[in-house]
Amino acid sequence: MLKRTFRTGLAIGLAVATAIAAAAITYERYDTKTLKRTIRRDAVLCGVNTGLPGFSIPDEKGNWTGFDVDFCRAVAAAIFDDPSKVTFVALDANDRFKELQSRKVDILSRNSTWSMARETNYDLYFPAVAYYDGAGFMIPASRNIDSALDLDGSKVCVQDGTTTKMHVADFFRTNNLKYEEVKEPKLDEVVKAYQSGRCNAISADVSQLYALRLNLGKPADHVILPDLISKEPLAPVVRQRDDDWMMIVKWTMYAMINAEELGITSKNIDQALKSTKPDVMRLVGTESNYGEQLGLPRDWAARIIRHVGNYGEVYERNVGSESKLGIPRGINQLWNAGGIQYAPPIR
Amino acid sequence: MTGFRSLLAASLTALGLLLSPSLGLAQQYDPGDEPGLIADDSYALPSQWRRQMVFFRTNEPPGTIIVQTSERYLYLVQGNGRALRYGIGVGREGFQWQGLLRISRKAEWPDWVPPAEMIERQPYLPRFMAGGPGNPLGARALYLGATIYRIHGTNRPDTIGTAVSSGCFRLVNADVTDLYDRVPVGTKVVVRQRPEL
Repeated sequence: MLKRTFRTGLAIGLAVATAIAAAAITYERYDTKTLKRTIRRDAVLCGVNTGLPGFSIPDEKGNWTGFDVDFCRAVAAAIFDDPSKVTFVALDANDRFKELQSRKVDILSRNSTWSMARETNYDLYFPAVAYYDGAGFMIPASRNIDSALDLDGSKVCVQDGTTTKMHVADFFRTNNLKYEEVKEPKLDEVVKAYQSGRCNAISADVSQLYALRLNLGKPADHVILPDLISKEPLAPVVRQRDDDWMMIVKWTMYAMINAEELGITSKNIDQALKSTKPDVMRLVGTESNYGEQLGLPRDWAARIIRHVGNYGEVYERNVGSESKLGIPRGINQLWNAGGIQYAPPIR
Repeated sequence: MTGFRSLLAASLTALGLLLSPSLGLAQQYDPGDEPGLIADDSYALPSQWRRQMVFFRTNEPPGTIIVQTSERYLYLVQGNGRALRYGIGVGREGFQWQGLLRISRKAEWPDWVPPAEMIERQPYLPRFMAGGPGNPLGARALYLGATIYRIHGTNRPDTIGTAVSSGCFRLVNADVTDLYDRVPVGTKVVVRQRPEL
């Protein structure tokens, strides 16, 4: 009798322990509660670059600004109607994906290239492209060249150990052009080599070249060629298996791109709320309720546009014509205005 | 015959609608026009408005001019995914139009005859001004179809990047001269506006 009770107790105990373990594993693996935790915390946890001009940089008071920073502010605006409800966590390149996996942040908005291996190896998801970057070239304006195909015989400075070095080699080989590689282990040494004339072209990601140009004596004496020789689609990153959160991140990006295409800006949002154009009404929430399916209020997109702006506003303010970087919209222009930024419709 | 006439009338109306800026009747000083002011050639254009080769994806053939007024840029399509981009000044609120036209005439140091619509709004303007450095049309003008609009130079290089004109597109004199030398009469000009709410 006693033995039987013991056995039953043991069985029940084991069953409970197994259930708890299974629940814990399920929770760990299928965590679908990021939105809930974000709301409870009253802030979005946003992983950003430790300091990259135009993309994410803190001032001396710890206020963050930049293109990647504004994206997290947009998510906060959609959820809280308050773009300041973001806690920024500066992450370096090496452990950014692990920090996201271990839930130190809700979103990684840190100039990260979307690639297949990064999604599959780290169990992550890149919901939508924020910025199409790519390796390119900067040359002295005096060379009077406006195409990378005219770089035959150039001496090209690159940073050793980067993918840029490989892209440069591929580009010259594919196009049957000759070049001389001048490699340096560190980026500032690469710039020094270029400045001292040891090379007459420098290659890095184009967004980086614009930042480097700012620090050259006379920026106007250097031009960045419009050609991109590699694909570096920069995108925010979230964990897999939290589809509700992934949808919020994805549609925040698309709301900003659609807003630009429809001509809705932070300045005319009140006028847009009175619009009778169906596309505009669906986006700002005066017709139907597309926010509800995301677990957000009806005016989720209007909040984003009011507090942060549309895609073009965010671009120009941080990295484009209104910023020191002055990067032309180029490939990041809307699909109907010379670029490839294209958002599925909200309907 | 009647058919042709009504067709003609319809197309003229359509063209009119396409190119109709909402013409305000208020007499308004136009900060972009300063007849007689000699252009300051030493003025350094802010870097974002300087002529530059950029990535530009389009199905329009090379040689086409595309004006994106909300951006304040004029693109000369080069093909192969690129375009030469010029900073421009555009029409102020209410003087913006969009459509497809062709360059109908080119002129160096053009004379300026402000159109009747402009005189009505700004009666202080001269009725005629001979071409030259003090002329608001600047060094070159590209006439667009049969409209009153032009792509022209300016004696106010500081207005590049702003919306002040009566619907014309202005470039600094060095840029309009560069563009003038690259495009023939008959060049297709596409003008795009930000969509209306």
